[in-house]
Amino acid sequence: METEILIIGGGVLGAAVARELSRYKGDVLLVEKEVDFGWGSTKTNMCIVCQGADTLEFRPEYHRSRLIWDSIPLMEPLCQELDVPFKKVGELALIRNNEELSKFQKLKSRAEKLGLTGHQFIDQDSLRQMEPNITREAIGALYDPNIAIVDPVRLTIALIENATQNGVKVMRETEVLRISREANQFEVETNRGSVKCRFIVNAAGISVDKIARLVNSDDFVLYPIRGYVGILDKNSGGFIKHEIHMRPDAPGQMNILTPSVHGNLFFGTTMQPALRGDCSATGRIAEIGLQNVRKILPDLSEKEIIHSFAGFLMFRNWEVGWHECVVQASQKVPRFISICIGYPGVSAAPAAAREVTELLRREGLRLEKNERFVPIRKAPPVFSELPEEQQKELIARDSRYGHVVCRCETVTEGEIVEAIRHGATTLDGIKFRARPGMGRCQGGFCTPRVVKILARELGLSEEKITKKGRESRLLLYKSKELLEAQL
Amino acid sequence: MKRSDIDVAVIGSGPAGMAAAIRAKEEGAEHVLILERQEQLGGLLHQCVHNGFGLFYFEQDLTGPEYGHRFAEKVKDLGIQVLLETMVTQISPDRQISAVNNREGVLRLKPKSIVLAMGCRERSRGQLNVPGTRPAGIFTAGTAQRFVNVEGWIPGRKVVILGSGDIGMIMARRLTLEGVEVKAVVEILPYIGGLTRNEVQCLHDFRIPLLLEHTVTEIHGQQRLEAVTIAKVNKDKKPVNDTGQMIECDTLLLSVGLIPENELSRMAGVALDPLTGGPVVDQWRETNVSGIFAGGNVVHVHDLVDDVSREAEIAGTWAARFAKKEEAEKEKKILKPGRNIRYVVPQTISAQHDVTLYARVKDMEENVTLKVGDIFSESLRVVKPGEMLKIHLSHSQLRQLKDDAVELSVEGAKRRQNG
Repeated sequence: METEILIIGGGVLGAAVARELSRYKGDVLLVEKEVDFGWGSTKTNMCIVCQGADTLEFRPEYHRSRLIWDSIPLMEPLCQELDVPFKKVGELALIRNNEELSKFQKLKSRAEKLGLTGHQFIDQDSLRQMEPNITREAIGALYDPNIAIVDPVRLTIALIENATQNGVKVMRETEVLRISREANQFEVETNRGSVKCRFIVNAAGISVDKIARLVNSDDFVLYPIRGYVGILDKNSGGFIKHEIHMRPDAPGQMNILTPSVHGNLFFGTTMQPALRGDCSATGRIAEIGLQNVRKILPDLSEKEIIHSFAGFLMFRNWEVGWHECVVQASQKVPRFISICIGYPGVSAAPAAAREVTELLRREGLRLEKNERFVPIRKAPPVFSELPEEQQKELIARDSRYGHVVCRCETVTEGEIVEAIRHGATTLDGIKFRARPGMGRCQGGFCTPRVVKILARELGLSEEKITKKGRESRLLLYKSKELLEAQL
Repeated sequence: MKRSDIDVAVIGSGPAGMAAAIRAKEEGAEHVLILERQEQLGGLLHQCVHNGFGLFYFEQDLTGPEYGHRFAEKVKDLGIQVLLETMVTQISPDRQISAVNNREGVLRLKPKSIVLAMGCRERSRGQLNVPGTRPAGIFTAGTAQRFVNVEGWIPGRKVVILGSGDIGMIMARRLTLEGVEVKAVVEILPYIGGLTRNEVQCLHDFRIPLLLEHTVTEIHGQQRLEAVTIAKVNKDKKPVNDTGQMIECDTLLLSVGLIPENELSRMAGVALDPLTGGPVVDQWRETNVSGIFAGGNVVHVHDLVDDVSREAEIAGTWAARFAKKEEAEKEKKILKPGRNIRYVVPQTISAQHDVTLYARVKDMEENVTLKVGDIFSESLRVVKPGEMLKIHLSHSQLRQLKDDAVELSVEGAKRRQNG
């Protein structure tokens, strides 16, 4: 197989680069080792675009800071073009004492000198009106109206879909094993055969340094950092309206609570160095998570937590409390670009993708406009979000939209079939695309039904259906099979 | 039947919904309609292929499908309207129902009264916060029950069950009969969560190890579950150091509690009792929203299906009377949970009519006295959270009540240590 550019990694960054490159002529292939897109750091993102502390502590000398800042004006139009949810919620950074107040005052005036506008101080009474359920300890807040929320996995899938519309090729379940360099090209060996390419964009997420080492490019060192996120039931979705940020009381913690575009609340509470890939959320972390989120919402019942998970990010220089990103061409290996933002990768993705394109140009890529580039991608219908008239039309057109499969999120069979048509092949693939199993019963009701639809649409036996690809089959034996084996 | 003429609409057709609809019809409601999300009447009864159903209601030992079939036949005979594969998506406080199906699209109904009979759902891993990785092979016991008994699939061959709820214990037996090795049933409390009869018939009779005061502290495996670590817990239900042991298994079932399914109730403005998770109801199973009644596991989780149907019949009766504009008297006395009582249903009583109270204790205790104010007392050898208390009070007893509120409590005896 041959391509001009190979992108390694189908997370939000790889997908954004693929979509950006599809504006130009030339063959682009993206490989993803998982069975679907956005399943690494992307899916554990808190969904916040440009969290306030990042914009407020804007440091022009830092690369990552510039990318975040440059992405702000790009994100909303991007989400519009790709037909994915984007919601401006604004951030309230809570102030609990005079010390915090003066710190925020300094940050705000520094930020204003740098040209950031829109921040304003909110007094206690106004804060009560804006957020009646939050802690009485807050004496005020710094309000940042620019903060928005997105669905990172949907954004990633939309970027991939739009990129493929415009000619990019993608391969899933394709893991890069070895890379060798020849005169003017790379030969990349994968579990699905080898790929010859001239340029490599290494967007491999938590494996970005491992991939770089495959070509002996060791320009950067990264440290794995584990974050912990909890999801609250939609019943508590109305408890807050803005993203709420509280200064953490202990190092290695963060205290953020935010609405999601789907009506839940997300909270993030710890960020600590850990063994790479060890996504196990320990009981202790879960406990700290609940304690911290109760500092913001004192009356929150633990029964409202429907799900929690840990995710990984790759940071440079964690010790200083402010990390730098990697968006660079290798010093040693020509035509090899690495990209890793760490946190927040989603917020920085639009500007980072442009920068990667520029780096490729400097490495010798000829950028010739793709005249047939179409920036618009249409999302499949979301039944529960449509007005009644459109729901009726949809069911009249395809009766499967009248069959609700997931009670908690009101997901119809029509949406599940459409998710499969768009590339979902697994239970989790359906979950991230169409949301059955994302609700309060966590798939208790819909799992057998979704498995059945998947098997039918893919023409497979239900035994072959997996949770997330590879060896993750859900149903191992037929009824009576084990008994017969014992006879 | 015109959709505008519905007297009583029943949401759900499990043992509660069908019983409520039948009683409503028998009570004289002309147009009774059942809305059911599945392909057939019966709710979860279809997957409950074990026996033990109907011992009180029919005085016969039936399986779940048999129990459901009897009600379904009666629904048909009485000419009760049924809309299958129809998901109710919304109920408004003025009793307007929105529903969706693939034949008529989006439906709007305005019945004179409504019976909520949506049943309950299982607590999930997310709510338990079980630490560890996210491999395939972790199911709630009820989901596994559907796979095994309805779809014909066995999730795995080496199983650990966390929690000793009834469905978990029943699945331990069911899977053993399928040739699966059930390695242990692990319960965090010092006593089982379900019925004693299930402990005997499902665990002891099949020599399935029951580990009390233990819990799963970690899940192992990236793709498919490979093992779980279990550990002993202390009085605060926290794992004790150095007691962890790894058990190799490919499947973990969760049977750690049921939650009344009240999303629609919330939309309708129905007040919920945080102790039961279900609507606050009066003696007639009417909620705070006029004309909206509730019965069965949507109100509180019962132990026996027979009680589910009986309770729903009360709701069906009074929903029919409401539709005919015959309302119950509104005098209400409040029932309060007292010492060692987790909850009591109904939450208010009229004090003019006989009533059966359903209650659960918080902790297991021996040699106790169950009291309702000073009008009722009964000695009990043992009370357990897993076994519901039923107290029948006659109207003559109730007439002795002087105050507007009365307390139900468990007195005397030494409390058995919890944990």
